[in-house]
Amino acid sequence: MKLTQALKMAAKSISGNKGRSALTMLGVIIGLAAVIILVSYAQGQNLAMEKYYESMGENKLTVYAYAYNNDVDLAEELSNYCQQISDCVAGITPNEYVWDVNIQYGVQSLGQSNNSYGVSIGGGVYVTDSYNTRPQFYLANDQFGLCNNYTLAKGRELSYMDIKRLNHVCVLGAATADTLFGMVDPVGKEVTVNGLPFTVIGVYAPKGNGTTEYNENGDNWQEVEMSRMDRIVVFPYTLTRIFNGNQSISDFTVKAKDSKSAKEAATLIRAFLSGLVDMENGNGYADVYNEGVYREEENEANKLQQYFLGGIAAISLIVGGVGIMNIMLVTVTERTREIGIRKAIGAERGSIITQFLIEAAMICGIGGILGIIVGYLGTLIVGKLAFKIVLIPGVGITVGAFAISVALGIIFGIYPAAKASRLQPVDALRAD
Amino acid sequence: MLIDIKNVYKIYNEGQESEVRALDGVSLRIDRGEFVAIIGASGSGKSTLMNILGCLDVPTYGDYSLDGTDVTELSDRELARIRNKEIGFIFQGYNLISALNAYENVELPLIYRGVSILKREDMVMEALEKVKMADRAQHKPSEMSGGQQQRVAIARAIAAKPPIIMADEPTGALDSRTGKHVLEILHTLHEEAGTTIILITHDNSIAATAHRIVRISDGRIVADSMNDADLQYSVAHEGGAGA
Ligand SMILES: Nc1ncnc2c1ncn2[C@@H]1O[C@H](COP(=O)(O)OP(=O)(O)OP(=O)(O)O)[C@@H](O)[C@H]1O
Ligand SMILES: [Mg+2]
Repeated sequence: MKLTQALKMAAKSISGNKGRSALTMLGVIIGLAAVIILVSYAQGQNLAMEKYYESMGENKLTVYAYAYNNDVDLAEELSNYCQQISDCVAGITPNEYVWDVNIQYGVQSLGQSNNSYGVSIGGGVYVTDSYNTRPQFYLANDQFGLCNNYTLAKGRELSYMDIKRLNHVCVLGAATADTLFGMVDPVGKEVTVNGLPFTVIGVYAPKGNGTTEYNENGDNWQEVEMSRMDRIVVFPYTLTRIFNGNQSISDFTVKAKDSKSAKEAATLIRAFLSGLVDMENGNGYADVYNEGVYREEENEANKLQQYFLGGIAAISLIVGGVGIMNIMLVTVTERTREIGIRKAIGAERGSIITQFLIEAAMICGIGGILGIIVGYLGTLIVGKLAFKIVLIPGVGITVGAFAISVALGIIFGIYPAAKASRLQPVDALRAD
Repeated sequence: MLIDIKNVYKIYNEGQESEVRALDGVSLRIDRGEFVAIIGASGSGKSTLMNILGCLDVPTYGDYSLDGTDVTELSDRELARIRNKEIGFIFQGYNLISALNAYENVELPLIYRGVSILKREDMVMEALEKVKMADRAQHKPSEMSGGQQQRVAIARAIAAKPPIIMADEPTGALDSRTGKHVLEILHTLHEEAGTTIILITHDNSIAATAHRIVRISDGRIVADSMNDADLQYSVAHEGGAGA
């Protein structure tokens, strides 16, 4: 019997018994979709973690440097040097955290004082400060947003001229703007900072990274949707006289081009600073921290979780496989009789097995494709609900799960054919 | 000799308490062009014998030579070829494939035989017309009465015009009028194409239309005799003329 004939016969058999075909397909669809969704959920957790690090500034270098030698303007020097190595550095900003600041608009007032120290960006998931208070105040330059992954919602960033001219301007984080101004547009409004008039020139878009934070309010834990990262105020770093007791800037954030160049940039900047700061004689200190290092440590800690998720994938694959197997075996009696008839009217074993093989491949192929579609849709929904991200199953798991469930379907699909075609026709016809 | 079985036994559960000797030493020779009726009570071993003759089953003991070939020596592939080309089998229980309609069921042996699609269409429709089922060609077995399924099964057996037709109670599910019609078809094939017909029945009046009547009881042949010619014609052709 020719292959085209076997193909036609298989197609007829599928369309001739739509109920059975649909049921078999359903087995493949459920098995495959379950595996894809479960494994993608696991991968989504890692992805959410990645996103978190990304929002934290994955390619961020933290530079801590000071020199007692007042001839050196570290901020200026570092800034100039980073422009020279622009093939691995995308931006640099002073990132000086300052205390004892109070900002006021009308009756609304927000403050941060020395005794509430202990809050830092990205320090932890659970914070005990209310989001209505304690914004974090930074001295920075025009590249603060770039280096810390903030985007502007309104107005503009600090400018080079703001820095040069020591302009009394500030850029607000989304939460700070919300608390101080409510529905009012803050851009261009005058606020009072430590008694001095300042103009709000811009507002950053909320960075809300999706992790839910809690704060303690009396006895109740309240959900706070907005990220702590949005409770910030940024001033020109040259205003140290107002905010920093005229201390020089010692904290900087460098944004590397990508995670690869981060290491190179760290090495270069470290070398540059050691030439600038006389550490050996105790006349200063300089170091560069690569945030990517923490990430690697986190990944190590995640390994156990990875094994756990691998186990889930294996179990769901087995569950899906058993489902496919069951549905295939349920129809064995009926199919054995059919094989008896086919043998009795002159079908050879080979053509029976070929037909069943094609039939199983068609059903499992179509079921597999539908299963992938269902799995993708399910994964998108799970990703949206669980992680608030667009989660798409990996190619590896999709191809792997498809191959395994189709293989299982085919194996259990031709199993009755292979077995029954060995029987005498009467024995196959008597099957029950 | 077309069919030659010698000392054939079919024993189920041999050696156990539940042992059944469905065939208990049967020897039978049938020549090309014969019209043989096998008659016997229910459970006497008619179907068992027919299944062995049709190469659908193997005897526990005994020899079977079909057209000079020792069937017990044949491979699965060669047996399939014989079932496909030499024998048209009409089962007691119809045995149609439920997923296929009448047309497709009748077409199936022709496909396995490798008949081209155009020829198939003619052959299938001719066979369906013979059993007066052409108007039901697109119906599935589940949409047909028992008698209609029986007729489609007959069409499947005769479509390829095999040299031997074996029919296990082909009229069992039919009213006497349709039953007579089916008998007529078999007789026509026998007369016009020289088809060898082996017909199982427990109905004496149907057996009476055959040329030869083999009586079987408890797995043994108890009588084997040529039939009175006049009676054959009168029943098969409702008193009409015959060869
Ligand atoms: N698979 C089997 N296992 C055990 N006994 C069997 C089996 N098949 C048939 N038999 C027995 O063999 C005997 C002959 O059965 P067979 O089907 O040949 O009878 P039959 O003459 O065709 O009867 P009917 O007229 O009712 O169709 C019966 O006693 C039956 O019970
Ligand atoms: Mg019987």
